[in-house]
Amino acid sequence: MENEISDVKDYKLSFHGEGKTFFGIIIVNWLLTVITLGFYYPWAKAKQLQYMYGSTALNGDRFAFHGTGKEMFVGYLKALFIFGLIYGILILSVYFDYLYAGIIFFYFAIFAVLPFAIHGSYRYRFSRTSWRGIRFGYRGERNELFVNFFKWIFFTVITLGFYSSWMEINLRKYLLGNVRGGDVAFKYDGKGVDYFVLTLGGSILTMLTLGIYSFWYYKNLFAFYVDNLSLEKDGKEVQMKSTATGGDFFKLFMLNLLILVFTLGLGYAWVATRTMDFVFSKIQMEGDIDLDTILQTEADYTDATGEDMSDFLNIDII
Amino acid sequence: MSKTPAIYFDGISSIPRKIELILDEQQAELVFVTADINTLHWSIEEISFEHIGDTLEIRHVSNASSVIKVNDADFISTFLFFLNKNGHVGWYYKLLHLGMKAYISLAIVILGLIAGGYLVVIPWVAEKAVLIIPMSYDMNMGNTFYHEYVSENDIDSVKTAALNLFAQQLKLNNTGELHFTVVNSTTVNAFALPNGDIIVFTGLIDLMKDYEELAGLIGHEVSHVNNRHSMKMLCRNLAGYIFISAVLSDVNGIMAVIGDNVHNLQSLSYSRQFEQQADEEGTLMMIQSQINPRGMTDLFTRLQTDEKVILPTFISSHPITTDRIKTIHKLIQQKTYRNIYKPELEKLFREVKN
Repeated sequence: MENEISDVKDYKLSFHGEGKTFFGIIIVNWLLTVITLGFYYPWAKAKQLQYMYGSTALNGDRFAFHGTGKEMFVGYLKALFIFGLIYGILILSVYFDYLYAGIIFFYFAIFAVLPFAIHGSYRYRFSRTSWRGIRFGYRGERNELFVNFFKWIFFTVITLGFYSSWMEINLRKYLLGNVRGGDVAFKYDGKGVDYFVLTLGGSILTMLTLGIYSFWYYKNLFAFYVDNLSLEKDGKEVQMKSTATGGDFFKLFMLNLLILVFTLGLGYAWVATRTMDFVFSKIQMEGDIDLDTILQTEADYTDATGEDMSDFLNIDII
Repeated sequence: MSKTPAIYFDGISSIPRKIELILDEQQAELVFVTADINTLHWSIEEISFEHIGDTLEIRHVSNASSVIKVNDADFISTFLFFLNKNGHVGWYYKLLHLGMKAYISLAIVILGLIAGGYLVVIPWVAEKAVLIIPMSYDMNMGNTFYHEYVSENDIDSVKTAALNLFAQQLKLNNTGELHFTVVNSTTVNAFALPNGDIIVFTGLIDLMKDYEELAGLIGHEVSHVNNRHSMKMLCRNLAGYIFISAVLSDVNGIMAVIGDNVHNLQSLSYSRQFEQQADEEGTLMMIQSQINPRGMTDLFTRLQTDEKVILPTFISSHPITTDRIKTIHKLIQQKTYRNIYKPELEKLFREVKN
């Protein structure tokens, strides 16, 4: 019998951000953004990410985001140029009376930009993230993602949208499956069909109960994300598990809502930190990877164009 | 020299290594010995640091992956004090440590700046922008609307002809051409399009008792056209929207929603300002045309007191009609005017009303 008894390790994710401090960051960013007529935005974003990542800890050691405003500003300019070009062509086509060709081009271009934006955003964001000095990285291939993306879109269209559940899970699998933290690999195991059943049932029950079920629906969506996520290294693994209940989500959302309403939105900083605290306190990790043995494997990457493009397109990473 | 135990991650593996970190204030550097017995000197010129919560993380600029982690509160304050004294603490870090009172004052200052920008700058910009926008845009906008919506209605050509003749008798100070259209409808309303098309519903005309009231209505609507109020509203709304989303988009969605609502409230009082201008100019036009300006207030009073009537938009959505009536009364009292009975207007009015 080769049944090795591996020693189970302790892992703890925690969030140490405080609403008060984050409020200060937001206010200072806000001031600088207003004074610079919006040009400070990339720096503001970098500062917010630095704070949020820096407040998240695994076994007491904090994550770090070392993206800089300067990198993001360059990305911002590139993204601005790309979108300027797309809109410019649309406007020209209207001007020269090729309206329909222009609109078709516009939608096609926006869809074509999407996988590039997602890819670039993942590459940049993860390569600028580290824990104990070990960099994260995203190893997906841009062209592979591009081809897959259009294949999935095509299936979604010909199945009148039914395939979208599978598309979403395929995309998640591909993106997360290519994330590394040093020599630790991420893995996502969700199945499209389970997700389809989950979202269909969740939406119907939410409607039937006039929204009351939505908290349990959120709980299921969160669990579907977390429970299917695992880490692997040298044959060892760590499995994530959600411990959040529908009641937890109810409490979280209701309090958040009250804070926002009674502070006219200024309480956003507290809502954001409370939510992060909630998320990380509800993820349990079980497994046998020794966190002291992770090796540096990922290269530095500083092009933030994808990060900024995804801002323009209003897509959120993860 | 201050010393503290610290943790060093070398950027090669995740093994935490215990080190003794020394801050050498003379040399302005951090000194420590690594596991393989290398003594490293990190000049304070070449480090970046993050102070989050009770943890200080120090990195070297040449290799952001090696990190020193310090939890010793005394050492952290000595280190920060030293950096501060030597001018190595950035203005941003200082801004971030101003404290709650300062943030709240800052928030108020920013809101003040935004409000100032919104109340003063936006209307000013919009006003100037309208001067640059060629009249052809107003014409196109108005024509499109007329063809899409107005021409579908039951247009009374006889009354329309009479109303146009009626308007020709008035001094309207118009720069462009004006066209009046009478639409058969029980709707109690009238509105002006930016191309000079003015549409009046029979529902409103039926309520009028004499030609002075009709003249008042025409004066009011023509003033909207003369002043390009539609285009100004459009520019203000657009500029306001861009401004608000530019300022708030970074903060969060909720703020944007609140901003939008504020914006709606604001555009309401924008149009209040325009309505008032139209009331005043309309009244002056009546005086110029030697028509009794009380026709304007009579019309408003009737519309307000007639309970069956749902107040038409040109009068209802804006503040309290009573206030507007008072304002016009005041204006009339300041002016000397002569009103001469105009039989030809009376005749045309009867035709329009019949």
